[in-house]
Amino acid sequence: MKAISRTSTIICVAAIAMVLVALPAQLAAQAVASKSYDRSGGPAMQWSIQVNRVDAGDEELPYFFQVAIYENLLEELNKTEQFKQVFRDGNRNASGVSSLLVLQTTIEKYVPGSETRRAVTTVSGATKLSVRAQLLTRDGKVVIERKVNGNVRFFGDNLRATQNLARNIAKEIKQGRWDLANAPSPGNS
Amino acid sequence: MTHLFVRRNHVGVCFSGALIVRIWGLLLCSSLAALAQSAPPSNIANPPLSIPAMHLLGMKDTKRNCYGTLSIQDNALQFRQRGKPSAQVNTTSIQAIVLGSESKQVGGVPMKLGKAAAPFGSGRIVSLIAHKKHDILTVEYVDSDGGVHGAIFQLAKEQGELVRDSLKARGVSPGSDEDRSTKRSTTEVMDESN
Repeated sequence: MKAISRTSTIICVAAIAMVLVALPAQLAAQAVASKSYDRSGGPAMQWSIQVNRVDAGDEELPYFFQVAIYENLLEELNKTEQFKQVFRDGNRNASGVSSLLVLQTTIEKYVPGSETRRAVTTVSGATKLSVRAQLLTRDGKVVIERKVNGNVRFFGDNLRATQNLARNIAKEIKQGRWDLANAPSPGNS
Repeated sequence: MTHLFVRRNHVGVCFSGALIVRIWGLLLCSSLAALAQSAPPSNIANPPLSIPAMHLLGMKDTKRNCYGTLSIQDNALQFRQRGKPSAQVNTTSIQAIVLGSESKQVGGVPMKLGKAAAPFGSGRIVSLIAHKKHDILTVEYVDSDGGVHGAIFQLAKEQGELVRDSLKARGVSPGSDEDRSTKRSTTEVMDESN
């Protein structure tokens, strides 16, 4: 009886040890797979991206806000390391890249805030930005489309809203599901 | 007679010599004046400008939100942080300059902490008066590959116009969104006065 229980204990310990050894290796393999491939199965790192200038739409967005969103987008997309190259609007080198996606950002709503009002009241004076971010192929097919917000509610100056917005757009692109069904494969021109 | 002739002849020689010297002097003066007028007008029309500014974002190899000196010399817009090499943009590559304005709280983090620590919410009253309006200068330029860059600087009130005018004098065209930014700054002022 004692021998049976000892054997079962040994088997249990061995099984636990095997699981503990095998699990981290499996998790690491999954992490590598999720990093180098997007959810649609295509290799995300094979794409390059061109960030277009921000379209203010019908909103009266100050010009420096538009420029700040554009510059912050370039920085945040570089930080994600999701793309092979990140091109600026107008960059001639982008025309020679076959696997190029274009990020188009259009302002949908802008509520101008006030840093002073935030500091005095805490609850009012938030700067709010809402944009439609579209990731398009060169021939205009939408790969991903999201409505993204960027606000500054309590602390910080008004331009901080642009930084938050750019970070949220980069996060959406990184985590979102890409519709690459109609897009040309990145290797082909 | 002879004496008279000789004297008259001597006077005539002196007179013609003095005339030639005067004409030469006049020509020399006028040519010098013309040279003085034609040589330095580029420096007089476009004098170098240097003012303290805060770089918010956009200049290559320059930290965000750092203080320094914004200057325009010859055909370059430069931003120099204290003790660091300056970042510069050629005025020929500038596509647009747009001037806006923004009201900000003064004092930075120490002031914020002080206001938070002040008893009975008196820090909020300090916030009401501790704000300052700044000019925001946006410069849009292209790099050698044609890529569009945007640099944003915060300047003391009414200093932005100096930089804009100086750049305009160097042939930079102002941006088309200038009216829009002016409109916005007006709305913000109204908003803050409420």
